[in-house]
Amino acid sequence: MARSRPWRALLVVLAVSGLALGGATAMAAPGQPAVSRALGASQAAPRAGAAASCNPKASSLAPSGPPQVTPGSFMAKIRARGYLIAGVDQSTYHFGFLNPLNGQIEGFDIDMVQAVAKAIFGSAAGHVKFKAISDLQRIPDVTSGAVDIVAHTMTITCDRLKDVDFSSVYFDAAQRVLVLKNSTATSLASLHGQKVCATSGSDSLAVIAANKAVPVAVSYWTDCLVLLQQGDVAAISTDDSILDGLAAQDPWTKLIGPRLTDEPYGLAISKQHPEFVRFVNAVLQQLRTDGQWAASYAHWVGTPVPSPPPAQYGG
Amino acid sequence: MTAIVGVSPGQHARTRSVPRAGWRSRLEGASTPRRLGLLLALLVLLSVVWGVLAALTANQHASAAADVVAVSEPLSLDAEQIYTSLSDADATAANAFLAGGLEPAAARQRYQADITQAAIRIQAASALAGAAGGSAIGDDLATLSGQLPVYTDEVGTARANNRLGLPLGAAYLREASALLRGTLLPAASDIYARESALLTSASAQATGLPLMVIAVVVGLGFGYLLYRSSRWLAGHTHRVVNYGLLLAALAGLVSLVWLAGAFVVGRGDLLHAQQQGSGPAQAYARAEVAALQMHADESLTLIDNSGDDAYQQDYLKEQKLLGPGPGTLLAATGNGSIAGDAQAWYQAHAALRKQDDGGNHPGAVASALTGDAAAKFGQLFTALNDGIDAHQTVFASSARGGRDAFTGLAAGMILASLVMIAGCAWGLSRRLAEYR
Repeated sequence: MARSRPWRALLVVLAVSGLALGGATAMAAPGQPAVSRALGASQAAPRAGAAASCNPKASSLAPSGPPQVTPGSFMAKIRARGYLIAGVDQSTYHFGFLNPLNGQIEGFDIDMVQAVAKAIFGSAAGHVKFKAISDLQRIPDVTSGAVDIVAHTMTITCDRLKDVDFSSVYFDAAQRVLVLKNSTATSLASLHGQKVCATSGSDSLAVIAANKAVPVAVSYWTDCLVLLQQGDVAAISTDDSILDGLAAQDPWTKLIGPRLTDEPYGLAISKQHPEFVRFVNAVLQQLRTDGQWAASYAHWVGTPVPSPPPAQYGG
Repeated sequence: MTAIVGVSPGQHARTRSVPRAGWRSRLEGASTPRRLGLLLALLVLLSVVWGVLAALTANQHASAAADVVAVSEPLSLDAEQIYTSLSDADATAANAFLAGGLEPAAARQRYQADITQAAIRIQAASALAGAAGGSAIGDDLATLSGQLPVYTDEVGTARANNRLGLPLGAAYLREASALLRGTLLPAASDIYARESALLTSASAQATGLPLMVIAVVVGLGFGYLLYRSSRWLAGHTHRVVNYGLLLAALAGLVSLVWLAGAFVVGRGDLLHAQQQGSGPAQAYARAEVAALQMHADESLTLIDNSGDDAYQQDYLKEQKLLGPGPGTLLAATGNGSIAGDAQAWYQAHAALRKQDDGGNHPGAVASALTGDAAAKFGQLFTALNDGIDAHQTVFASSARGGRDAFTGLAAGMILASLVMIAGCAWGLSRRLAEYR
């Protein structure tokens, strides 16, 4: 998909009209995710079609004790290189964002990456190269080896597990809906026929279409907030973690409706490096137990802090 | 032919025997006073034709030249200024945004000056567009004046959010830049293209030949007729010099030389204005706009910093257009030293990208704001801007020179034709009186 910004408005229009068409098709053939076809986003997860044996929350590889950089491992390679390359978000407030006040990328996702880098190098400072990537680039960048790890509010799905490995679940999110405070909508279902924004490549689009709202696809979550503020869309629907970050930037918005989906976040790693998956899981296990996870949660997401998602492994 | 009435039968026979002999043979057959009368009528008629034709020609060229100076040039200048001001605002807003919440005062002032300049020029162009006509230009101007506040509003929102440290600011800035590039610049560009075409046609009209050639042919015809007439008079009346006809000849000669001279001078000035002024100025302006868009791309890539390198791709695309190299915008300026400035900036930009891609985002931002990339772009921009200014000065002075060459020309032509009529009438009526 061409993503040149000057044409973005046009793209949105095209996407919307394409999706409107897709919506009509979807009504004729229920269960078919027309959205993912229209956007060419293979990542949009057809959860209904997931194999019975696949459990996204218990798909990762168990660590073998505390994190250790074993000779010849991928971690040793990273250490020799001098820095970890992390694919991150730069526009999702509180998870991965470029802080204009200091020019640094910060957030809950970033804390996870820093912890992995610290386990490899002994100190994270100067040992992480952040590559800000869009939603659509997450899987291609992992499979091509352009990045070592992706920390990007990325939901573990059975579909994505075919292409990449994930760490154990480090955050439990759920898709909800963000509207302006004066909106009368109470849920995604009540936005039937209205425009609802999400990023292209996110699995939120399929849920929006399934609820008979009109999906509008943009590049970044903040673009959705611009459209909402300008009255071009009626709502934004995606993971509550992301919506919280948007709501924090505009006090005249509110979260509505029930948890529509279960979105377990994992760190994506290439299938070529199972030892790195186990290593990262060992790091996450430390964070869960030594209070760092809770500290990051309190700092970025807020209180009360729930207990961390328990680690479950499939192998 | 039928004007020659009352010819005798013998003369008829003679005419028949020499059927292709023209008016002269018929005239020779007429009585001398009749011939004198006919000659007078012919000379007066030719004087009038000359006066009307020369005055028309003078007027046509003078008004076309005045159009070049008074309407087309300012309008195309306005369109160009709108375009460059908006491009500059885009680049400046993005660059200032990079600095974070505390944007540099100079950048803010420059942005404000750009917006003010664009607004003033839009207003001026709207006033002039009435004179130049064209509803398409009116539509474009409506787009510009309608969307400019939307653009500044989005930049303001971007700035406010950026100041609060919110990522939302970057989204508004991207939105603003997309509006400027997708809607405002195409409208300005459209006006510019239409106005440049009008300027070229006004200039072509002022420098065109057809009417001038006809006028000169009539003038020479008059001169030849006067010469033949005075020779004929000298033969028939035994007076060597007819002062009336001499006066008419002098007036005709002076007016012919004036008309042709004014045309040659005015045409030369206008062509010079075009070839050494507006043409190169346009080339520099196009290059400047490309450079400004690239500068905005540089900042937006750093602001966006998403690996989705649409802005960097645009930078590279524009770099190919800007050149240097055969067929590029810089080649069109014919200025070799600017090519060096551009190369220096490209190198600084490549170094900046290498820094950013290597994870040194703050270093890359520093280069774009106050470092090497900023300095090299500044040099390129100054060189291009100087090029525009210098050639616009050439255009303005040459075009004014061209216009002034036609000053008083039409009135002069009418006066000359009156003198010619008077001279012919005076000179021939005295000879005619001798037969009464």
